[in-house]
Amino acid sequence: MTDTLPTPVPGGLDAQRLREAYRTMRTIRAFEERLHEEFASGDIPGFVHLYAGEEASATGVCMHLDDRDSIASTHRGHGHCIAKGVDVKAMMAEIYGRRTGACQGKGGSMHIADLSKGMLGANGIVGGGPPLICGTALASKQQNTGGVGVAFFGDGASNQGTTLESLNLASVWGLPAIFVAENNGFAEATASAWSVAADNIADRAAGFGIPGVIVDGFDFFAVHEAAGEAIERARGGGGPTLIEVKFTRYYGHFEGDQQSYRLDEVKQARETVDCLKAFRSRVTGTGLLDEAGLESIDGEVFALIDAAVAEAKQAPRPTRSDLETDVYVSY
Amino acid sequence: MPDRDADVAVGIVANPASGRDIRRLVAQASVFPTTEKADMVQRILAGLAATGVDSALLSVDLGGISAGVLRARNRRRPGADPPWPHVTFLDEDVPTNSAQDTRNAVGRMLDAGARVVICLGGDGTARVAASAILDHPAPTGARRDVPLMALSTGTNNVFPRLREATVAGVAAGLVATGAVDPATATTRARILDVDAGDRRERALVDVGVCAAHFVGSRALWDPTAVSEIYCAFAEPDAVGLSSIAGLICPSPREKPQGVVLRLGSVDSAPVVVRAPIAPGVVLPVGVLDWCVLRSGEARPVTATSGVIAVDGEREIELHGDRAASVRLRDDGSLCVDIAAVMSEAAGEGLLRSHH
Amino acid sequence: MARTISYREAINEALTQEMERDSSVIVMGEDNAGGAGGSGEQDAWGGVLGVTKGLYHKFPGRVLDTPISESAFIGAAIGAATRGQRPVAELMFIDFMGVCFDQIFNQAAKFRYMFGGKAVTPVVIRTMYGAGLNAAAQHSQSLYPLFTHIPGLKVVLPSNAYEAKGLMTQAVRDDDPVIFCEHKALYDTTADVPEDSYTIPFGEANVVRDGEDVTIVALGRMVHVAEEAAGELATSGISADVLDLRTTSPLDDETILESVASTGRLVVVDESNPRCNVATDVSALVAREAFSSLRAPIEMVTAPHTPVPFSDALEPLYIPDAQRVVNAVKTVMGGQNA
Repeated sequence: MTDTLPTPVPGGLDAQRLREAYRTMRTIRAFEERLHEEFASGDIPGFVHLYAGEEASATGVCMHLDDRDSIASTHRGHGHCIAKGVDVKAMMAEIYGRRTGACQGKGGSMHIADLSKGMLGANGIVGGGPPLICGTALASKQQNTGGVGVAFFGDGASNQGTTLESLNLASVWGLPAIFVAENNGFAEATASAWSVAADNIADRAAGFGIPGVIVDGFDFFAVHEAAGEAIERARGGGGPTLIEVKFTRYYGHFEGDQQSYRLDEVKQARETVDCLKAFRSRVTGTGLLDEAGLESIDGEVFALIDAAVAEAKQAPRPTRSDLETDVYVSY
Repeated sequence: MPDRDADVAVGIVANPASGRDIRRLVAQASVFPTTEKADMVQRILAGLAATGVDSALLSVDLGGISAGVLRARNRRRPGADPPWPHVTFLDEDVPTNSAQDTRNAVGRMLDAGARVVICLGGDGTARVAASAILDHPAPTGARRDVPLMALSTGTNNVFPRLREATVAGVAAGLVATGAVDPATATTRARILDVDAGDRRERALVDVGVCAAHFVGSRALWDPTAVSEIYCAFAEPDAVGLSSIAGLICPSPREKPQGVVLRLGSVDSAPVVVRAPIAPGVVLPVGVLDWCVLRSGEARPVTATSGVIAVDGEREIELHGDRAASVRLRDDGSLCVDIAAVMSEAAGEGLLRSHH
Repeated sequence: MARTISYREAINEALTQEMERDSSVIVMGEDNAGGAGGSGEQDAWGGVLGVTKGLYHKFPGRVLDTPISESAFIGAAIGAATRGQRPVAELMFIDFMGVCFDQIFNQAAKFRYMFGGKAVTPVVIRTMYGAGLNAAAQHSQSLYPLFTHIPGLKVVLPSNAYEAKGLMTQAVRDDDPVIFCEHKALYDTTADVPEDSYTIPFGEANVVRDGEDVTIVALGRMVHVAEEAAGELATSGISADVLDLRTTSPLDDETILESVASTGRLVVVDESNPRCNVATDVSALVAREAFSSLRAPIEMVTAPHTPVPFSDALEPLYIPDAQRVVNAVKTVMGGQNA
């Protein structure tokens, strides 16, 4: 007998995977914080909704996914795009409305998509994604690919009929679908504590006969573990799961939101439970990664974001000839 | 004996987070809805009022339990609904959605002179409430030995009892008003102290050491990663880690000793136990050896890296840089024995009148 | 070889042949089989009016009954279409678009444009429209103009069994989202339909009757009303060119304009309500592009600006009929031949 059992790496999180997780979370944070600055300078058209603070959710879930898996996102979709592997420079160019953007400047922040990566698009409609994910999960099932669909949605969308209908349909059809309710405490300017009757979105799972769990959204490891279990279950034919991820968004509903509806939660969250800080201290505590390695990732990420912004600003805008293209495959 | 002339107050602390962890996904554990927790509080209030409790002190949470009780109070129809004690919501502290809320609420209850603290949650919530009572500073007139009544609303519940809340409220009321003899109404629980350098934890039931780097989603349900278990008591009809010990060397709550087990591979261990390790999960577990854990005895944890779980929740990450130890103490919380209280109430005719 | 079959059978045959040809074609909708979870027959209904009857047993696992949950399953059809399936989803009555319109017009219709031309969403949404069965205000509307308005959607209205088979086959093979509008009152009408598979291209109106004096543009069931009127007009010496639009999006501008250039008169027959409908759209096209050819103001024969009434005394007054078309033609003909 040995004194200790061999230490398994939970969820396959070896040093390499931990570096990937950190790089993804750091990229999302840097992308969003840079957008926060750039938006204030007035160069970015339209609206942007920032995902900063919520990085552990997109990252912890999407690390289990590959190209056969689909995700549907929300108006706060940059983090999901990055975590699902959408090109960061193409995203930035899209947000600037450039022809080199992920959607040639025709989609913008709220519609960044890359179907080749299984990223079905950020979505401007609250509750728009869950029905679509029932469909991608159905396609995986029909084609026997072992793929899953993941619908990210917020506490606001948790009250939409589309979401509740989709939970029911996914359960009835036994679909390989995972519903990730990102409860950041506010739907626009309305607290989820007020708008979500019975308070926990996860509790609604019981009404559809599927598992519902709550995880700490600031804790990458908690999200990663729960998502891993749910995705493995779905791939194996075990059906859908509802995961409620609780956390806070660091910025307003959209950029420019003065956020007078809340007090100092963000400051407190940034100081005490921030997912990146917590991740750093825990992975360095295990000795699996060291500070120097993480700092070099930071440097690479910041350089990537700098380049993405510089290239986006230089990139050509779409022209009149682009206005009427790509409405149909043929017409 | 409590002074019946003074206002008789009982505290009720309810944890909105219990019954939601990953075991609903990996092990078909039950969902304990917020609405049911709020309903339990209301049933307790009816039981308290029926036994003459004047005042109930309620914790405030962001999960919807206190909001549910508040809604119910605002909708009460005078004369039509059964009476409640005066209800006070302890809203001085800003809720943090963490165990600190339970600690704060119990502290406020003791400061306000609560004579019983009723705790709704799982083993984890009971552990925090028990610790809050044990750690409460004795001065300012608060009593350290306020009895705890832990009611189950969680998952792997071994310490809290699954009892009907109305009856629990009646029993708590009989204790709080001094109608029953505290000596027969309460028992003293034991407690496990975990010392890992800068991290200290307590467990009411068991301490498990498992091979993992990270706390992750907290709950512990995979026995293959567990190498050591320390139990304050071990009952053969329990669920969770302590059931392994309960099935080979039962150690009742009433007896002043616990048990330590070392686990190993099911292929090579001399004893293999099929244990209900979590709701819906009965697995063979290899047991290398076991021995009695005596009160006051500190045992060093063998593993130097891994995660320590208390009462089924992974709490402390060991990274090889510090030693940990577990000590059994027999001076834990006073706990209300609902069966004993109700039995005495029947014997003494406390709830009976004659014409 | 052609034989006479019904509009219902023609759609069923197109679906059967496409499902045999392409394993990615799946069918879903409320009671598209019928009997799910019940103790009796599976495929009990084959759709509420029996259009998909028999597919369930022919194609195991590819005909999916759904809960009454249009947002979820129409959305699911759209999502599946983005991942390699060719779903044919039945939105039972077109009136029910109100509970799932977001998925159709904000999701399916916009993917290709919003995503910079990278999305392909080959979904067909079959739906029944039209008055005539006393189904009242929420089961009788002709809401195809609403879909026609949305860029990214194609809107198809077969007028008979032959058209239905060819247009459905094209709809399944088409790579864009198609709203396939089936008129409830046409299901039992019959026509000669080839057994072999064939397609009818979208955006090509069908000249169902050649004439010289007036152009009557119609669609769906109104094609029959227009033909009946044309027959009656012929007895009074008026020869009408009758066009079946087949699809409102794409719209065959060219055939309409050519016909009006030769006749100089236009009557549009449209079962939908009169504001912003196909009649106003075609009229605007002609007024804009062929004003100089017009010898008389355009006439439109449509339903009134009311919900569809229930009573069997009122419903026939609501639906455009041949007599109203005859009257409209006589109006545009002025004193001539009247």
